[in-house]
Amino acid sequence: MEETYEFTKEDLEEIEGIKAKFPEVMPATLPTLWVAQRRFGHVEPPVQRLVAETLGLPESHVHGVATFYTQYYKERKGKYVLDVCTTTSCQLCGGYKMLHYLEDKLGIKAGETTEDGMFSIQSVECLGACGYAPMMQITNDVYVNNLTEEKLDKVIDSLKEGEMPEFESVGMPLLENINDK
Amino acid sequence: MPEIFIDGQRYEFEEGDDRGVLQFILDQGKEVPFFCYHPAMSAPANCRQCFVKAGTPVKDRETGEFELDENGERKIRWFPKMQTSCSLGMQDGMVVKTQESDEDVARAQKDTMELILINHPLDCPICDQAGECPLQIQTYKYGPEGSRFEVKKQHKPKRVELGPRVTLDAERCINCTRCVRFTDEISESHQLTIVQRGDKNYPIAAPGREFNDPYSLNTVDICPVGALTSTDFRFKARVWEMNQTPSIDITGGKGTNVDLWTRDNLIMRITPRFNGEVNDHWMPDAGREAYKRFNENRISRPAIKLDGDNQSKTSWNNAIETFAETLESHKPEDVLVIGSPHASVEENFALMKVFNLWGVNNFKFAPHIEEGAGDGFLITDDQAPNTSGVKLLGYEESNDLSSEVSDAEIVIMLSDELIDRGTLSKEDLKGKFSILLSTNECETAAVVDLVIPVTCIAEHAASYVNVEGRIQRSFPAKETKYKDRSLDLEMNQGRLDRFGTNFDNWVTEENKVDCVPAWEIMNQLADRMGLEVKFGQSREIMEEIAGSNPAFENVSYERMDNEMGINLNTSNKQEATA
Repeated sequence: MEETYEFTKEDLEEIEGIKAKFPEVMPATLPTLWVAQRRFGHVEPPVQRLVAETLGLPESHVHGVATFYTQYYKERKGKYVLDVCTTTSCQLCGGYKMLHYLEDKLGIKAGETTEDGMFSIQSVECLGACGYAPMMQITNDVYVNNLTEEKLDKVIDSLKEGEMPEFESVGMPLLENINDK
Repeated sequence: MPEIFIDGQRYEFEEGDDRGVLQFILDQGKEVPFFCYHPAMSAPANCRQCFVKAGTPVKDRETGEFELDENGERKIRWFPKMQTSCSLGMQDGMVVKTQESDEDVARAQKDTMELILINHPLDCPICDQAGECPLQIQTYKYGPEGSRFEVKKQHKPKRVELGPRVTLDAERCINCTRCVRFTDEISESHQLTIVQRGDKNYPIAAPGREFNDPYSLNTVDICPVGALTSTDFRFKARVWEMNQTPSIDITGGKGTNVDLWTRDNLIMRITPRFNGEVNDHWMPDAGREAYKRFNENRISRPAIKLDGDNQSKTSWNNAIETFAETLESHKPEDVLVIGSPHASVEENFALMKVFNLWGVNNFKFAPHIEEGAGDGFLITDDQAPNTSGVKLLGYEESNDLSSEVSDAEIVIMLSDELIDRGTLSKEDLKGKFSILLSTNECETAAVVDLVIPVTCIAEHAASYVNVEGRIQRSFPAKETKYKDRSLDLEMNQGRLDRFGTNFDNWVTEENKVDCVPAWEIMNQLADRMGLEVKFGQSREIMEEIAGSNPAFENVSYERMDNEMGINLNTSNKQEATA
């Protein structure tokens, strides 16, 4: 039996607001998919269909857009999705080591979800934070920088408690500071 | 008039001509390789194959004069990068260099093709598209000799059933998006999209949805590679084994122009043929199924009821003799001739002329209309190809054929499956002597007293008038028992036809049906009954019709061939005003 999905009244209002921003409906696809993913935790085919119906767009179009972006979850993921960067800078600084540590710790492989539905691990391409390599992103949200095994332990523990780690703001090295040295 | 220079040659174009440079070049009979561009759809310029160098002349801002270089030639300001000619609009004075005159362009096209081929499997020997594949042809012409990529190719889904009629091999896809644009812009079903991205992408329908567009098979035709294949035709025949004959779609009233592809006297497939006035590049899927009617369930040799309700095969002589004796034992007033919107103008005319001469004046036909079946594009309510033609010949339209039949003693029907489509019932024909000239076995043929096999559209040259009053004609594609491809100059020959003999194991004599055109049957009947009629070839019959029926004035096969069909309404109107 396929689950049925419905947007709440607030969601629909938000979607109306999104539609009002664009001269055509098509560009509203991306933000509406975000609304759906926030509501249902994923954009499986029935959710894509709901989005298509809500916007009055072809299902195929919404499907094409959803599959283009890895940030939309086309299948159910854990509550926390750990996107470990394994592109060049992170790779050189131990990205794969961090990934494998996580895999061993949670007992799953990249691309899988723990049985309790808490964690998914993904090996992802560059997230644009090469200065803080190795790093990972949690559920398309907070970046955790300069990963170490201890830091991962701490992050996992706090996530299990239900606490998202703080966003670590790493400032740009200012020119005068560099000159000072 | 604005001018454009292509490879150093000057061409003129009309002001406001919105053709792209690529289309303009193609229209001049020149060539630039391309994959994603299609003249009937928007140009997304995503295959990048049609690169050309382009530039515009430099004008002095103050005088408005062209600036000249030291040789007195116009100075050209070249676009900084190569342009995709499909999406490049023409401008007055524009200079274009294609691969024919510029090494860099040839090199760019070669490199683009190398990129396109990175993940394309080299399975041409087993690919249905081979032989008519733009990628294959253009790789031979413009591509690199080998690939420098030694890494493993991307693997993608193979043998995906997109829908009931189309099978996808995603690995062969080069993501030109022609199929996606077809469903968006032409059939407007929006059923296809490109999924994934980068080198992993391929076209598919939304999850859980079928690609069941009534025009879905057109995507197979426009696919520039073997990614989309017809589930029905897949692996049936190689392109170079077949020969191609122009014809008309008989499954609807639109008169869609088609090509019949023949091998060993079997129609293997039907594809649309371009006619801007009728169907553009497209045809409905249903029309492609018609090839089965041409091959299977054909009536071969006449059949006659001898004992009770059982038919048995008989000779042509006996069939004609029985036909004539039956007529002679009755009066012309007892005879009802039922013409057919499914048969050609010539067949209906021959029938009418012979029986008219003998004294019959009861000519009826039943239109084959399914209300609501049409879609305003290529599918019509009219299920028959020649409804207008039968009407113009003077057959009277009848919506109550069974009462007409009950008033007659002899019923002569021309290839129309009247019982199968519910216009008549078996009981209607009880107690009558019924004669059917038919192409295929059907319920109607099973109950009549005399069945005479006639040629179908794939076996004769004959014309059909579509719902808009356009008369178009077919060519013979299949040999009958009495035809020889190499002697009939209207027939095409494929490789196997030309180089084979009757003793080759790929020549199947059974594929030739024992039937003759309806007008030849009328010849024999008229001869036997002593009537002064003699029909020649269908070409001559059309000349006779044109000479005697004002609706067909000036119509000839030659004109139909040259003008891709003639609209009877407008051509007559023009004459009226002239």
